[in-house]
Amino acid sequence: MSRGGAVPVERLELLWYVIAAMGLVLGLRLAQMQLVQAAEWRLAAERNRSQMIHQNAPRGRIYDRNGVAVATNAPAFSLIFLPGKDRRRQDLNPLAQELGRQLGRDPDELLEKLEQAVREESAIRLAENLPTQTMFRLSELKTIYPGVDLIVEARRWYPFGRFASHLLGYMGKMSSREWRERKPKGYRVDSRTGRLGLEKMFEDELRGRDGGLRMEVDAQGRLKRVIDKIPFEAGSNVHLTIDAAVQKAADDGLRATATGRGAAVAIDPRNGDLLAMSSQPDFDPNAFLSTDPAEVKSTVLELSEFNNAISGAYPPGSTFKPIAGLAALSEGRVKPDDSVNCPGYFELGGRTFLCWDHKGHHRVSWLMGLALSCDVYFYQLGLKTGGGAIERFARDFGLGQATGIALKGEKGGHLFGPETRKKTNKGWYDGDTLNLAIGQGELTVTPLQMAIAVAAIANRGTVWRPRYIQKIVYADGRPDVVKPVERRGVVSAKDAAWDEVQRGLEVVITSGTGGGARIPGLLVAGKTGTAQNPHGEDHAWFVVYAARPGEPASIAISVLVENGGHGGTTAAPVARKMILAHFGMEDPAATRPVIPKMPAALTAPGAVPVPGRLR
Amino acid sequence: MTMARAVRVQSGLSGRVDWTYIGAVAGLIIVGSLAMLSAASTTTFYSSILQKHFIALTLGITLFTLTLAFNYQVFQDQSKFLYGMAIMIVAATLILGRISRGQRSWVHLFGFSFQPAEMARTLVVLALADFLDRRARRIQDLSTILTALAICAPVMILVLKQPDFSTTLTFVPAIFGMMFAAGVDTFQLIAIFGFGGLAISVPLIYTICQIRWPAAAAHSLPGMILATSRMGWATLAAIGLFCALGLLVWRLSSWMRVQVKPAAFAAIPILLSAALLSGIVVHKHLKGYQRNRFVAWIAPESDVQGAAYNVIQSQIAVGSGGMWGKGLFSGTQSQLGFLPERHTDFVFANLGEEMGFWGTSLILGLYMVLLWRIVSAARLARDRYGYLVCAGLASTLAFQLALNVGMCLGLMPVAGVPLPLVSYGGSSLLVTLWTLGIVANIYARRYALL
Repeated sequence: MSRGGAVPVERLELLWYVIAAMGLVLGLRLAQMQLVQAAEWRLAAERNRSQMIHQNAPRGRIYDRNGVAVATNAPAFSLIFLPGKDRRRQDLNPLAQELGRQLGRDPDELLEKLEQAVREESAIRLAENLPTQTMFRLSELKTIYPGVDLIVEARRWYPFGRFASHLLGYMGKMSSREWRERKPKGYRVDSRTGRLGLEKMFEDELRGRDGGLRMEVDAQGRLKRVIDKIPFEAGSNVHLTIDAAVQKAADDGLRATATGRGAAVAIDPRNGDLLAMSSQPDFDPNAFLSTDPAEVKSTVLELSEFNNAISGAYPPGSTFKPIAGLAALSEGRVKPDDSVNCPGYFELGGRTFLCWDHKGHHRVSWLMGLALSCDVYFYQLGLKTGGGAIERFARDFGLGQATGIALKGEKGGHLFGPETRKKTNKGWYDGDTLNLAIGQGELTVTPLQMAIAVAAIANRGTVWRPRYIQKIVYADGRPDVVKPVERRGVVSAKDAAWDEVQRGLEVVITSGTGGGARIPGLLVAGKTGTAQNPHGEDHAWFVVYAARPGEPASIAISVLVENGGHGGTTAAPVARKMILAHFGMEDPAATRPVIPKMPAALTAPGAVPVPGRLR
Repeated sequence: MTMARAVRVQSGLSGRVDWTYIGAVAGLIIVGSLAMLSAASTTTFYSSILQKHFIALTLGITLFTLTLAFNYQVFQDQSKFLYGMAIMIVAATLILGRISRGQRSWVHLFGFSFQPAEMARTLVVLALADFLDRRARRIQDLSTILTALAICAPVMILVLKQPDFSTTLTFVPAIFGMMFAAGVDTFQLIAIFGFGGLAISVPLIYTICQIRWPAAAAHSLPGMILATSRMGWATLAAIGLFCALGLLVWRLSSWMRVQVKPAAFAAIPILLSAALLSGIVVHKHLKGYQRNRFVAWIAPESDVQGAAYNVIQSQIAVGSGGMWGKGLFSGTQSQLGFLPERHTDFVFANLGEEMGFWGTSLILGLYMVLLWRIVSAARLARDRYGYLVCAGLASTLAFQLALNVGMCLGLMPVAGVPLPLVSYGGSSLLVTLWTLGIVANIYARRYALL
């Protein structure tokens, strides 16, 4: 134990000062961080532990006129991924592989999405609308892969599927450019927006405001608990004038026709309410929300956004004849009893104009001329009336102009006549009058225009601007907006002329070409049409209105089946189903499938029983 | 020592034991255990951690009491044996140790795992104290410093081999503190440790340049500095510059008639050049994770998710604790797993978050009391050996405190240095309590050997 002199205590002193200085520095730093900057650090800690999970607001519902929801919301499971803060040991690849297997998706694409979420440090939806089975399988992944979670959300749901597709529209994802534009309005990158029809037009009303859950997450991104909740605001509800039953009958009926392509429009002649508007081919809006990307892809590829009911312009063919007839009768150029001999053709200036029935109709007057749709009768009627009067009446019925329905893409069709020709400095010939009188030539109309025109015949002259919104019920308590009914024009014709035309249309059903739409117990009046089409098979038309006996007509319908052939056989059954649906009647044809043939006695002129007059 | 004598020693001791010191140790263990157990509560092996902690604590307290019981000078008598033991355990670790996180630093014995490096450090302190005590008469000689370094080097190299850079680093303040307290020549000491410091800071400068100016042009200053790392003409130019600098200072001082031996001026370029060259060598051998730690320290914002993650999360934890803290078991940073190594190296950050400023200042205060009592023990020690042991242990403990707390507060680079008595770690706790027992022993026997 050697002891070598005194120890240099002054050095120990210095050592102590160094230690004390170090303690002081640490203490000051602690005071700075915990007392001065505490608020900032607390904010950082808060940002760390909380993760916002957006909750889609339930979109406003769309109801039909009877309160049946035609677009609503259903709870659906979404798979989300929350990137953890502590990613040092987090490998995304196995997760992408596993999810790819479970969801049947490309793992590379999933990996890309996961990596994007990690880069942006925000939650991401990996899959939406998961079926329950998949949901149960995926919920096991939660325990294995931190950050994966399932949340329940309100998702758009169209209970009827393929139903008024073009009117309702569908929900789709935004392109990145659209998203940048809509970002200020609170849209998120995975928000869906209305892409067509009402969903698009009333996007702002239907959308509501998204809410969110502030969740506590751990470093790996596992959800721990809800910290607080920002309640969402549901979207506003839209009430339509559409009658779901009629609409369904129209959609199903058209789809069941030979070609499955066409359009059907139903209007309430009393007030211009749109009761149904169908365009085929249509689409299932639910398919866009499918979990299967292949299904979504094929739906998008096959998507037919073209609304035949308002955008398709077709020659009206014989369905124009009531209008031509009204012009003739009202102008007094033709008397109902004037008869015409139809040998099956008509010669004018060296040209031969054929009747559709080449065998001819022999002697026909107004009622049978209309009931049998005799072209020769109408050629002569046209010549007597003159193109100008027919054109004027047609214009009064709203042909040649857009109806002004609040939908995008509406066409006005094309009306031709001496007036129109004069504007373009072209001449008008008698041959043109013949074509106009039977609704051929340059004349084109939309199914919607025809429905309005037939409604105007039913209500004796009122041409409506069709409306399809009854009211918008705002979720935030704003007063409901009720869309007013608009009268667009009036067709003035003599009462006797209206009587004759209506009677004629009734005879078309009872003993003419429109027998396919006959319904016992109802007053049905209509006109078939077989429009010649230069591109192929004839288009089948049928326009009709119906009433309970003694009541005003409450439905007017136009049905067009593209390349459907004869209107009476192809288009009339569709209209018939719609009428039955409208009046809430069982289909008598279902129990009594054989419609009795027209009695031969009725084909003779003068033997027609006069049905009850409308109004 | 007979049994009867031992009992008498104990009863005689109680009056001379430093109760303030023991109170500080107890306080640190209590507050530290609370923080550590709260932080560990979310880990998978909580019950196992709990068990190991209390076993180590019981053993440690026993060891502390036992160490207090017999005269500390036994350690000086047996210093050769202790030194041999130090070499043996670190060598055994390299041979028998298990690899964990890339380091072979754990020995498994009878179902317990043990990290011998810290024990080796205390043993080296004891052996070095004996050497410096016996060198008292020739303390100013350069040979004293060099021999002392030669004594420490084998153990340090073996620890570095594990490779455990952080623990090796904690040897440095112990050695420096003891040599300084022993009274070695200050110039020599500063020159040698300055050389070491330069050799460490050269790679640091390189790393700074690489981060701050990653695309530095060749003719810019950082570009030139980086060029010297490639052992080419730039390195030679730098050495030439150092020589010119030495020459300049020499001419200047002789012109100003400063009385310094010319040899001192020759030392300047030699020291600088040697430091540069060894710095380059260190730079080339720096492991990826070690470089990342530097990066995290220098530029925490550069890569939040990578190396700097720990630093940022630890600072958020401490800062968000505020004055009163979030309460034990309710810190979001630690309980939700954002804070890494929360019951081991970053336990202080957990304490800061959950107990706030009062908790951290309590720990810091207790530590300062502890250090003050160790320094007092050194001053009052009855012999030079005790004085040196206390000085060495005070330096080590202070350095560990500065490194660990400084790391949690973003003042120091991330180094795997635990906070003694507070961080979880059975062998660390055991060794620390044993070491503190030696200090208590030295203090208790300041007047008489008993």
